[in-house]
Amino acid sequence: MRNYLRQIGTILWKDLLVEFRTRERLITMGAFVVLVAILFNYAIDWVRVSPEDIASGLVWMTIMFAGLLGVGRTFHLEAEDGAFQGILLSPVPKDAIFLAKALANFVFLYIVALLVVAVFMFFFGLEVSRNFGMLAIVIGLGVLAFVALGTLFTAVSTGTRMGDTLLPVLIFPLLAPVVIYGTGATSQFLAGRPLTEAEGSIKMLAAIALMAFFLGSLLFRFVVED
Amino acid sequence: MWPGTQDWGGWLTSVSVPVHREADEKAPPVLQAQGLVREYGSVIAVDEIDLSLARGEFLTIFGPNGAGKTSLLALLAGALRPSRGQVWLRGEPLDFGEVEWRRRIGVLSHQGFLYGHLSAEENLRFYGQLFGLSDVDNVVRDKLQHLGLQERAASLVRDLSHGMRQRLALARALLHDPDIVLLDEPYTGLDPSAALVLQGVLSDLRDGRRTVVMVTHNLSEGVALATTVAIMNRGRFVWQGKRAELEGDFGQFYHSVIEGHG
Repeated sequence: MRNYLRQIGTILWKDLLVEFRTRERLITMGAFVVLVAILFNYAIDWVRVSPEDIASGLVWMTIMFAGLLGVGRTFHLEAEDGAFQGILLSPVPKDAIFLAKALANFVFLYIVALLVVAVFMFFFGLEVSRNFGMLAIVIGLGVLAFVALGTLFTAVSTGTRMGDTLLPVLIFPLLAPVVIYGTGATSQFLAGRPLTEAEGSIKMLAAIALMAFFLGSLLFRFVVED
Repeated sequence: MWPGTQDWGGWLTSVSVPVHREADEKAPPVLQAQGLVREYGSVIAVDEIDLSLARGEFLTIFGPNGAGKTSLLALLAGALRPSRGQVWLRGEPLDFGEVEWRRRIGVLSHQGFLYGHLSAEENLRFYGQLFGLSDVDNVVRDKLQHLGLQERAASLVRDLSHGMRQRLALARALLHDPDIVLLDEPYTGLDPSAALVLQGVLSDLRDGRRTVVMVTHNLSEGVALATTVAIMNRGRFVWQGKRAELEGDFGQFYHSVIEGHG
């Protein structure tokens, strides 16, 4: 078990180090988030629409699209010089590889998701300070579910000719419950409702994240093995 | 000639390699394959290959492009599943659900399996940790020194020359001291001095305790290192035998075999 965790940690650390040096994904996702927020700011008539009514949906859709940009490139640098094949030929269980890649994606996307909240607070004047802790947990659970599904399906789409084009088609139908329960819980917190009203959505998000990680760990080997 | 080396003479006048311990013919096979077939759709890349290699044996496989050499190596490495047939390591069939047997195989492919944004040292440390080496720092330092890369240990891989990357890839493949080494075109794109360094390292692999399979187009180097030679065409071994059985000009022999099975 110790060796298993060390292998996960090694791959995770490598992914973080490579991203820290290239900043390939974080810059792309961050720039996307800021641009989307600016566009929303001008596209929506704030006289007719109250920010609290639509903010949760906008936050979650922005996280989903930004996540797609980042997670879609999970194996991009791995393909360089066949490095991923090197990992596959090492004595690391495939589920450990999956967990490491998904956790690395979680770190990147969670940072971006918090940026989304910050940017929307700035542009739309959202008040989240009362429930920020719970909001961070809800977003964390949604991001966990997203990266588990995203990592698995990026591995599927990377191996096909359609590549990046195929990923949204595969993943968006499966993300529908994440968006539904994520926006549900987020709306409650933005409206200043008590935790008990969002409890059901939080439990569903946790269950979806758990199931996505379990299925991803189980199925990843069939995707990456020839 | 360097002490401890011998000239293989005849068709190998330009190559001198260290004398190596011959393979133990009576030892049980370390690497075995039977009826190995790999199909890509309707194309048969590897067609009913049988092989059995003992400890200390060095098999060099020659063949034209598209002969199936790389696919065969990938099958032996466990990187590809055979369409039919089986590979055994020390009598145990390859189990794709298991990973422990991967500790015993080192693979040098066309690609280096290296990360351009990590340094030479970081790349080796990364793989050392994946293989669970207990003394990673010392092993990495030794390997870098052995391959003449200690001066460039901190350089990012993307800043290294092709020859240096190839040496680093070889260091990566040998990092965990595997007893089975699979080499795919290790001489590709190397200048003469880099090829000389590589030849020295490959000669060291003939220490009698490893089993090596090398695929190459380099006839002289390939034969010089081999204990066993095979010529592959259209997915099959069209000739195989001990190097000692070879006489005369191997280049001519090779072309006649390929033309005979063209």
